[in-house]
Amino acid sequence: MKFVDEFRDAELAEVLGREIAALCEPGRHYKIMEVCGGHTHTIYRYGVQDHLPEDIELVHGPGCPVCVIPMGRVDDGIAIAEREGVILTCFGDMMRVPGGRGSFLDANARGADIRMVYSPLDALRIARQNPDRQVVFYAIGFETTAPSTALTILRAEAEGIENFSVFCNHVTIIPAIKAILDSPDLRLDAFLGPGHVSTVIGCRPYEWIPRDFGLPLVCAGFEPLDLLQSIYMIMKQFADGRAEVENQYSRVVKYDGNPVALKVLADVFALRPFFEWRGLGSIAHSALQVAPKYARYDAELRYEMPGVRVADPKACQCGEVLKGVLKPWECKVFGTACTPETPIGTCMVSSEGACAAYYNFGQYAKQRLSLEVLQ
Amino acid sequence: MSGTEGGGRAPSATHVDVPESGASCAAEPGCITCGDVAVLLTVTDVAGSDARCRDESGRAELVATELVGAVAVGDRLLVHAGVAIERVQGEAR
Repeated sequence: MKFVDEFRDAELAEVLGREIAALCEPGRHYKIMEVCGGHTHTIYRYGVQDHLPEDIELVHGPGCPVCVIPMGRVDDGIAIAEREGVILTCFGDMMRVPGGRGSFLDANARGADIRMVYSPLDALRIARQNPDRQVVFYAIGFETTAPSTALTILRAEAEGIENFSVFCNHVTIIPAIKAILDSPDLRLDAFLGPGHVSTVIGCRPYEWIPRDFGLPLVCAGFEPLDLLQSIYMIMKQFADGRAEVENQYSRVVKYDGNPVALKVLADVFALRPFFEWRGLGSIAHSALQVAPKYARYDAELRYEMPGVRVADPKACQCGEVLKGVLKPWECKVFGTACTPETPIGTCMVSSEGACAAYYNFGQYAKQRLSLEVLQ
Repeated sequence: MSGTEGGGRAPSATHVDVPESGASCAAEPGCITCGDVAVLLTVTDVAGSDARCRDESGRAELVATELVGAVAVGDRLLVHAGVAIERVQGEAR
């Protein structure tokens, strides 16, 4: 465990926290948004905010791919699964996302066959093992996950497997960041770039953020010290009067990303004209669909589905949480009607969702605050 | 079941499949795919486009390697959803 310990050293965290505090301009408040669910999880789990001065506020953006799936797309998945002879497969957290007709778990209780997989390649294996059934993979995720779906389609074609298709809900991070920056109700000062998305796309696609908006972005790793060092790099940019894209996660992320993965993505997928994001609405060119060349693996062409936009429950404020306008605990139903056991909104489903992360780990931050008050 | 970070909650439904990759989406906390988590694995055996890999705890996983080119025993790979997305140089996590 020595490599983990090195990135979770409490004394080093204290030192970094003091150095970050020294870079704060007196009287200035800094809002730094992370757009990766893994970062949100680390921030709450390890209490990263506790090592920062009060003037630095971490804002949680739409980084959890489960959280941004609109309810209508859940219903579409259920409609596919309810067809005779279909096995629908999906990642674990997707099983509990509520749609207009309940979740995938609810659909299973009604007799559907929806199975959890670790990889789309496991869905292809199920197709191989069940030649008399149609196997559909419900694909979600950002650019980190999309290459694995693309690779699975390529393998299906190479093996001539015909009873496999993909219901593609992959989204891309850059248009979502643009939508957030265009949002009038949120003022941000900097971004923590998503580490593993950047492993695939590299750092270059973010260059417009400092150029057009004057905001620093630092691609960050996922350990507590990664995040603190990235915040230090952001604060150093402010202190130096710079706004640039920098790469803290250089042990993994290359500036130009993974060219092979990018080539596979460009071959297998095409950009959708529009895609609806929960909380952010319809965003142009923000999602992927199976390219015409691989149309026979496109579940949207193979199956009829409702394709209906379903409004979020009125009590749910996931939209505001996903944009960083509301903190999780400021939602009206947080921790009462909406809990990880009975989620109303998607942010409470995945443990990388801001609400679930705060629900699971935020209590420790509260306890620490109470102790400070008592002292 | 998974020794990786994350994993995913096991839903209380029937039809929970344990894939042959050896990895699983059934351990607390979180879901490695939904959470955009990638894990560092070391190649122990190569078979065509796949590589048998292990993590620090010894958990084995079959990994597709097409996106990182030819791999050899001892190579360290960043793996997401059963697919290697990058090579990792040196010993750093």
